[in-house]
Parts: sequence; C-alpha cells; structure tokens
Amino acid sequence: MSYRFQFRDVFAQKEAIADGVLVTLQLSAVTIGLGFLIGILVAVSLVYGERWLRSLARVYVEVIRNTPLIVQLFLIFFGLPGIGIRLDVMTASLLALTINLGAYTAEIVRAGIESVPKSQIEAGVSLGMTQPQIFRHVVLIPALKNVYPALSSQFVLLMLATSVVSQISAADLFHAGSIIQSRTFRDFEVYTVISVLYLCLTLLMRGGFGLLYHLVFRRK
Amino acid sequence: MIRELALVDVYFLLLALRWTIGLTLLALLGGGAVGLFVAAFGAARNPVLRGVALVYVGTVQGIPLLGWLFIFYFGLSIVGYNLPPLVAATVGFSIYAGAFLGEIWRGALVAIPKTQWEAGLSIGLNYIEQLRHVIIPQAVRMAIAPTVGFVVQLIKNTSLAAVIGFVELTREGQLTTASTFQPFSVYLLVALMYFSLCYPLTQYSRVLERKRRVLH
Amino acid sequence: MSFIELKSVVKRYGNNTVLQDVDLNVEKGEIIAIIGRSGSGKSTLLRCINGLEPVQGGEVWVDGVAVHDPSANLRELRARVGIVFQSFNLFPHLTVQRNITLGPMIVKGLPAAEAAALALAALRKVGLAEKIGAYADELSGGQQQRVAIARSLAMSPSLMLFDEITSALDPELVGEVLLVLEEMAREGMTMLLVTHEMSFARRVAHRVVFMHQGKVWEQAPAKEFFAEPKTPELKSFLSAVLH
Repeated sequence: MSYRFQFRDVFAQKEAIADGVLVTLQLSAVTIGLGFLIGILVAVSLVYGERWLRSLARVYVEVIRNTPLIVQLFLIFFGLPGIGIRLDVMTASLLALTINLGAYTAEIVRAGIESVPKSQIEAGVSLGMTQPQIFRHVVLIPALKNVYPALSSQFVLLMLATSVVSQISAADLFHAGSIIQSRTFRDFEVYTVISVLYLCLTLLMRGGFGLLYHLVFRRK
Repeated sequence: MIRELALVDVYFLLLALRWTIGLTLLALLGGGAVGLFVAAFGAARNPVLRGVALVYVGTVQGIPLLGWLFIFYFGLSIVGYNLPPLVAATVGFSIYAGAFLGEIWRGALVAIPKTQWEAGLSIGLNYIEQLRHVIIPQAVRMAIAPTVGFVVQLIKNTSLAAVIGFVELTREGQLTTASTFQPFSVYLLVALMYFSLCYPLTQYSRVLERKRRVLH
Repeated sequence: MSFIELKSVVKRYGNNTVLQDVDLNVEKGEIIAIIGRSGSGKSTLLRCINGLEPVQGGEVWVDGVAVHDPSANLRELRARVGIVFQSFNLFPHLTVQRNITLGPMIVKGLPAAEAAALALAALRKVGLAEKIGAYADELSGGQQQRVAIARSLAMSPSLMLFDEITSALDPELVGEVLLVLEEMAREGMTMLLVTHEMSFARRVAHRVVFMHQGKVWEQAPAKEFFAEPKTPELKSFLSAVLH
C-alpha cells in the first residue's frame, strides 16, 4: 500500500477536537435532561391519561419512532422556515434531538410503570391514596429502577446519535471532523480518531450511569 | 431552476425508496452473517471467543453509525478502490448490524435453559445435533420479535447513507428539495414514506412479542 | 344499621359469577372468621368491602358509606379501613418506617414527627420496633406481615380486613402473626378474617361464616359452628380440614 497514515496531523488539531467534544457533551446533557422529563410526562399520559390524551401521546410516540432522526432534523431546520419558523442550528438540533429522545424514553418509562405489580397499587389504594399520590410514592421509583438499564442504554445511544447534527453544520465532535479534514486532508485518520473519541465518551457514560445507579438505588 | 413540487417528484422518491429497502436487505444479509458469528462466539464456553465477541460488540456499539460509514467510505478509497458509496454503505451497515443482531441472537441462545441442553444430551445427541434440533429452533422463536424490531431500526438507519452520497430516500429528498425549494413538503413526504415502511413492521414485532411472552 | 351490611351482593368476573346473592351483617367490635374452599368467593367478598372490587349487584354498606355506588369517593373510607394481604405488599423501595408513615402523612396530612411517633407505636404493638430502619427484603415473611399489619394500624382504622394473611408464611412464622391478631381482638377491633387457621378461628372469632359456591352457606357463633355444623357441605368441609 502506498499510503502512509498520518495521525500526527490530526492530533495537532487539538482545539477543534476539544471544542467539538464540549458541544457534543453539552448537547447530550441538555437533551437527556429535557428528553427524560418529556418521556415521563408522555408515559404518564399513555398510562393514566384520558382517551384523547392517550391517543395524542401514542401518535407522537409512533410518528417519532417510525421515522429517521435525520429526516426529523431536516424537517425542523430546513422545512420549518418554509412555514415561517426559522431556527438557528443549535436550537434546531436541540429541538429535534429532544423530541426524538422524548418518544423513545416514553416507551421505556411506560414499560417500567406497567411492570410495577398490581398488588403494590392495591396497597396504595387501600391506604386511601389518590392516583397521583400512588404514582409519586409507590410507582415512580420502582418503575425507573426496573428500566434503568434500558434507559441508560438509550441515553448513550442518544449521545452517539447527536453526531447527526453535523449534517446541518452544528459544531459538534463529528462536525469537527469535516473541519480538520479540510485542513489536513486526512479523511480516514480524522474519522478514525473521532470515532475512538466517541468510544471513549461511550465508556465514560456507561461508567457514569453505573455509578449513578449505585448512588441512587442502592441502600446506604 | 426552481420548479413546482409535482407528482413526478413523488415518483422519484418512491424509486429511491427501493434503494432504502435494498440497502436494508443487504445490511440484513451482511449483518446476519456477521451476527451469526458474534452470537456463536458470545455464547461459547471458551472465554477467549466470548471476549472477542464482547470487544467487537462493545466497539461497534460505542461508535456512531456515521463514524462507521465514514471510516469505510474513506478507508476503502485508501485501499485503492474507488467504489460506489453503496459498497461502503453495505460494509458499514453489515459491521454495525452484525453487532446488534449478534447481541439479540446471543441473548436468545443464552436464554434457553440448561435443562434443554441436558435433555438433548440424555437422548444421545452430540453438540452440533443438540444445537440443530433442540437449541436453535427454540432460539429462533425467541429471537424473531426483537429481530423484526431491529429491522425497523435498520430501515431508519439507512437514511444516514445519504451522507456518503448513496441515493436512497433521504438523499433523494435532499436532491428534490434542491430543485423545488419546498423542504417542508418534501421532507414530510419522505417521513411519510419511512413511516409507511416502519409502522407495519413495528406493529408486527409487537404481535410477535406478545406471542413470545405467551410461550415463555 | 349494622357497621357492615351486605345485601344481595352479586360479583362477576366476565361470565363467572363469584358471589351470588350474599347477605352479611357485621356489628362494631365483632370478630368474623370467613372460611371455605378456594374459589368459594371469600377473598372477593373481603375485597368488595373496601371497594377494591366493584360489585355488579346488591349493596355494600360500610359505616354508613355506600361502597357499591360507582360514584362514591372511597378514599376517606379506605383511610379508616385497614386491609392486610396474603402477599404483604410492602413497598420495597421504602424503609419500614417510611412504609408505615406514608399513609398518615400523605392521606391524613399528619406532620412528619407525629407520623414517626405513630409508626413507632404501631411497630411496638407488633413487636418489631427495632426493625424501623430496615427494608422489606431484609425481613422474614412473618416480620413483613407484621409490618404490613402495623402499616394498617398506623391509620387508626375502625375496621381491619385480613385476606389469608398467614397462608403464604412458613408454618413456624404463623404463630407470631396470630399473636398480634389476638391482641387486636382483645382490644375490641372489628375484624374480618379470611383464614384457614381453624383453631384460631374457633378460639378468637365471635362468629364464623362458611362460604360455598359464592354464597354465605352457613354461619354461627364460633363454638357452635365447629361443634354442630348443620349443612352437609360444611360437615364435609370440616371433616376434610380438621382430620
């Protein structure tokens, strides 16, 4: 092979890489925070809501989960201006990612809620608790504990999926790749390094979620 | 030249949809082949084989699909070939799908209780025969629901092949937007087409999941 | 009106009629044991009393509240009616103390300190004060059941329902739970027990009710019930369980 790999050129672009990592982390953190809340709200709607609310929630979940994220992103960033809503790159990215994560989280949390045994609910009812009280004190924590692995996996997947915002030129880690690529012409090396960085972020996140489980759910 | 969004655009989008389906099938074939190995290794008694599967799955799942697509797209051109994006996409998706399918299938294999193995052994079957007549049929029944669920993921994931220039549905959407300047309508149409592919499969996997739960 | 009045109660699950035309009166301070074969409707009867199961026909009156009325708000009644289940149903993510203080604080609005004192008193009553900081999975079955009783007691109920509360326990753990029940009986609590513990029923209950095929088949004061069964079905049931 007549090609010589030149990783050094890529490593020299430390700043671009660091900036990209920061944006990816920030985007992921905000999306996870908001998406998690939305997911819980939608899950509650799916399980406890009136018929109209359940249908609305179900439509939201099915539409988002059966269409690709990149199309949702393009619809928000390129499509909305056509009906008068013009968003900047970051806002569009955040919106698309959050709406997307909310739907997936909702399904997971819904499964968690339904996994709480009926006998627990009956115990709460028999004490005279209202449905909202039962949800808050009896259902919520066991539900989240049951689906914690699925939830944390989904959040890690989300962090990886943020790479798609590079396609509307948001300045995330993946987009840093195209910047460095245009400076060094080392396409293969650039994306290999960036991929390895994502792998490191994945490992860090998984470790972080493992630690979080022990902090929140394990008894003192 | 800007032109109005017309029926002919819908036609071209539908044609591109064929490529979405085609790429999905290629990914299933390639990923399926890889996945069989990953599952077999991952469920093996040999810890080295299990380690290989673990590292493979962990690495593939820890890198965004876009990353894999770009690595193969640029990597293959280094190796000297100037291949169409379809090849890079197929290789990238096969690697990616192989990890996920392998995990699903490994899970199904491992879920078969040890007593089934023992039953096969006690009627005189060897390892391969146990696998063929007792274990794999049951594993297939267990794995079919999550596999169909993953096919839905694959269909959505093929949208990323647009980024390396492969003309499937999403890329066709970008091209149509460029010539009609109607991004809202175009991407709405594109979303609708993906939905019409994915939603029936999602429902089917739910039916299969219910059947699976009844069995076990 | 009696404290509890069931008039012609009918309960169906789909096509299956579990309670047909059940009539039962219970006065305040009475201790009623309900026995019968599985499927005779005894647990369902209990669950209809605090409204966990809706009825399809007849009337259920508890302390003047029309439980059978679908529009009735049963929360207030349930705060006065304690029920203990066969599978304890303790909240696994909460400590024993929190399990017991949850009701008084959330439903009755008691301040934390008062609820905590109530919890301690209830635990003392069932003999488990030292387990106040434990979690359910650290306790034996008998201990969990006693905590479940304490959880109901902390609400200061005027009626206690027990749904086969010793059936899921290892034999050696049954005694500690029955002791608690005997103490409650001595203090004059109105109690309805669905149970298989015949000697306990004979000793502690005022009246025993035999459920058969969804009806109140026979009932009598405890001693008379076991000594002189009148119907052939009760005779054969007793001879089967009291061999």
